[in-house]
Amino acid sequence: MHIPDGYLSPSTCASLFAAAGPFWYIALKRLKAALHTRMIPLLSVFAAFSFVVMMFNLPLPGGTTGHAVGMGVAAIVLGPWAAIVAISIALTIQAVFFGDGGITALGANCFNMAIVGSLVAYATYRLLARRASIGSVRRVVGAGMAGYTAINVAALFAAIEFGIQPLLFHDASGAPLYAPYPLSISIPAMMLGHLTFAGLAEFVISAGIVAYLQRSDPELLRLTAPGAPDLHEALLPQTALRLPTARKLWLGLAALMILTPLGILAVGSAWGEWTAQDFSDPQVRPQIAAASRSEAPPRGAPQGLRRLSSIWTAPLPRYAPAFIRSASFGYLVSGMVGVGLIIVCSLLLNGLVARGANKQAAPGRRRRKSFVEKTALGLVAATQQALFAEDMAGNGGFLQRLDARVKLAGIGAFIVAAVAVRRIWALAAMLAMCIILAVVSRIPIRLLAARIWLAVLAFTGVIALPAVFLTPGRSLYRLPVLEWQVTEQGLRAASFLILRAETAATLSVLLVLSTLWTQLLRAFRYFRMPVVLVAILGMTYRYMFLFLQTAEDMFESRETRMVGNLEPADRRRLAAASAGVLLGKTMQVSSEVHTAMQARGFRGEIRLLDELEMRAGDWLRLAAFVGTACIVVWLGR
Amino acid sequence: MTELAFDIREVFYRYRQVAALNWLSMQVKRGERVALLGANGSGKSTLLRLLAGLNFPQQGEISFFGEPLTEARLQDEEFFFRFRRRVGLVFQNAEIQLFNPSVFDELAFGPLQLRWPREKIRRRVEETLEAMGIAHLKDRAPHRLSGGEKKRVALASVLILDPEILLLDEPSGALDPGSQAQIVEFLVSCGNSSKTVVTATHDLDTLEDIADRCYVFENGRVAGQGTPLEILHDVALLERTKLIRPHHHVHGAGGGQPHPHLHQHEGK
Repeated sequence: MHIPDGYLSPSTCASLFAAAGPFWYIALKRLKAALHTRMIPLLSVFAAFSFVVMMFNLPLPGGTTGHAVGMGVAAIVLGPWAAIVAISIALTIQAVFFGDGGITALGANCFNMAIVGSLVAYATYRLLARRASIGSVRRVVGAGMAGYTAINVAALFAAIEFGIQPLLFHDASGAPLYAPYPLSISIPAMMLGHLTFAGLAEFVISAGIVAYLQRSDPELLRLTAPGAPDLHEALLPQTALRLPTARKLWLGLAALMILTPLGILAVGSAWGEWTAQDFSDPQVRPQIAAASRSEAPPRGAPQGLRRLSSIWTAPLPRYAPAFIRSASFGYLVSGMVGVGLIIVCSLLLNGLVARGANKQAAPGRRRRKSFVEKTALGLVAATQQALFAEDMAGNGGFLQRLDARVKLAGIGAFIVAAVAVRRIWALAAMLAMCIILAVVSRIPIRLLAARIWLAVLAFTGVIALPAVFLTPGRSLYRLPVLEWQVTEQGLRAASFLILRAETAATLSVLLVLSTLWTQLLRAFRYFRMPVVLVAILGMTYRYMFLFLQTAEDMFESRETRMVGNLEPADRRRLAAASAGVLLGKTMQVSSEVHTAMQARGFRGEIRLLDELEMRAGDWLRLAAFVGTACIVVWLGR
Repeated sequence: MTELAFDIREVFYRYRQVAALNWLSMQVKRGERVALLGANGSGKSTLLRLLAGLNFPQQGEISFFGEPLTEARLQDEEFFFRFRRRVGLVFQNAEIQLFNPSVFDELAFGPLQLRWPREKIRRRVEETLEAMGIAHLKDRAPHRLSGGEKKRVALASVLILDPEILLLDEPSGALDPGSQAQIVEFLVSCGNSSKTVVTATHDLDTLEDIADRCYVFENGRVAGQGTPLEILHDVALLERTKLIRPHHHVHGAGGGQPHPHLHQHEGK
């Protein structure tokens, strides 16, 4: 769901940043009026909370685990506007620090998850919960559905953003420059993953936290429940709502997976889903016209559509029966392939991670890690990664000695360049430049290889691989048995995606490993980021560590007391309750920090020290960075 | 007659169901070093928050140099800045107090909010870091500080404003002996300046060094008051308010101040 750099074109990224802008502006305005002096601590601390909750491993049916974004909970506890800001901040820190989601794609990610997600979650929750009392089961289900719907609508937006890339951006040979799959593939592939795993994780965390809050901290649910009757102890459900057991959920999931593409088959010619042949089929033409408010459809199929429909049928053998070559079947197959790939990848990665971790553990019988253990390990890893970055930033290499503002703007220009160039050799040259920068900055190449290059390859490679066969174009090679064609355009599309993602990820890691967070904040400030946002970002990062530590302690103490295995339903409840405890603590810390700020003269308007001016030498270095970036873009246009 | 820094009259304050201050009355004179003693939950922290103008009494009143200290009064910008400039509170929990991304920013926060000129702020931050012996921590983030360092930074972030009245909530709690000694040393040095210091603590060892007067709290009321020596001799009071345990306390090598024991075991 976190879109990395290199998947979306610069113009798409820019438009989504522009689209997010007004929402951020309105959200900040409204919050300032509503919360006054409490806004800054509340948003910062809550953003830190959502960051930490995104690290929780949620046990899902079938022994898998998933992560949630937490927009359902954010929208319910904070209201939609504050949720927009808090999640945007959390996403920013994830992108800058942990390489989760790209820097150029930040606008897109915030738009999909923070803005669309929060608004959809809020609307769903209000619609379903209506005036039910604070303690009612209806609110729990409403919260779960809010999370489920929100993540799915957000995924749909992401899928559309991916899907329009090959239509709009390709090089001279017709090879897609960015995400290579058209809407017909990107939508089913994204949606099947989210309608099942990711959606379920979101459902579990949202419903679980609300159920926990009903019992322990019902006041937190007040804000988005106007008109709900007052809470009486008697109204509280005696036992927490039991989520359906694993078996039932699995059956439901399987049904969903099978029925979704079948639905597409059954509907046939739903609006906007006509196949190229439909346009010339005299029987279908009146239907399209009727559905399109009597506007006569064009005679021939639109050029783009014809090209599109041949994409999924391309790799299928020529002698296959006609229905297999039909558009609907291609739809179904690509959907299934998408889900299959996601499942296979997650199993493979799980296996790899488990094997790596087992090596450290005592040899002998391989034990499956409990989700508690996994979460605790993940939390420790996040803390260590951040601390490691801070250590690296102090080691006095080439990049480390540069002024943070020069680095922020310079490396930013490089990332934009890496996303903008249209030739493969230009991308390769940029990657080489990154390696040189890493060497002179004493950043170990082995670290980059293990943490960035392999990780990006594992993720983007899997996504790019099918494009080698699915992209129409000049055939280079035919696989012996399957008869799938490897096309030149497909190879180029896959290389673009992988190289771009690798280069952009390497650049952002170079920035993080060479710059302290405080310096980065000062640089943001110098480049006129609003004071409020700089202050919130600073506090979020600070409290992120406090909560990571708290969560880690919580899970580790849980681990020491746990005997035997818990039922899946209990495990889910345990995870949600831990998140709930953390949420309670979050709100408490937020109000305490608020008083601590007041005690030192804070009245709602934050003030920061202005930055010293950059020196001539700094400007020169910045010019060198930007100049190089421009040259690369011009040569690689 | 010396001026009264704080005059607390019949103050009542409760959180949800629990009464934290029960019709409490006491006075803090200007330049006096006062210790608030009491077990956990006896109302010390609540009183400090009230004195710092963060919460306000639900009943009764507090005046600050003769002026009433109320929520409405603090809305007035001129009074707000004057009050914040003169009164500094060091919180018990340094995690809460240190909310800025670096030590430098932490120290600069107070002066910035009080609208000092930027150049003066830069200078004062450097001076204070030097004076508190934490100049080497300047660019560190709070999550990379030890417990003792956090306390010192928290103290420095308040001292940079050079407040006349310093409110300290358990300044030496949960610290190793070395860090504790540094804090106590600082509080002793306050005795020579004209600062008014109100310290909440349950550490009896350092009482004589840090305070001229003590108030013993019990359930949100003053259960006893006097000089440190008088209080340390009142064993019945200390035992009743759970500040010492009858069977276990140390008199220190070299005698210290002996006090009578209420009961003795056979054979002693």
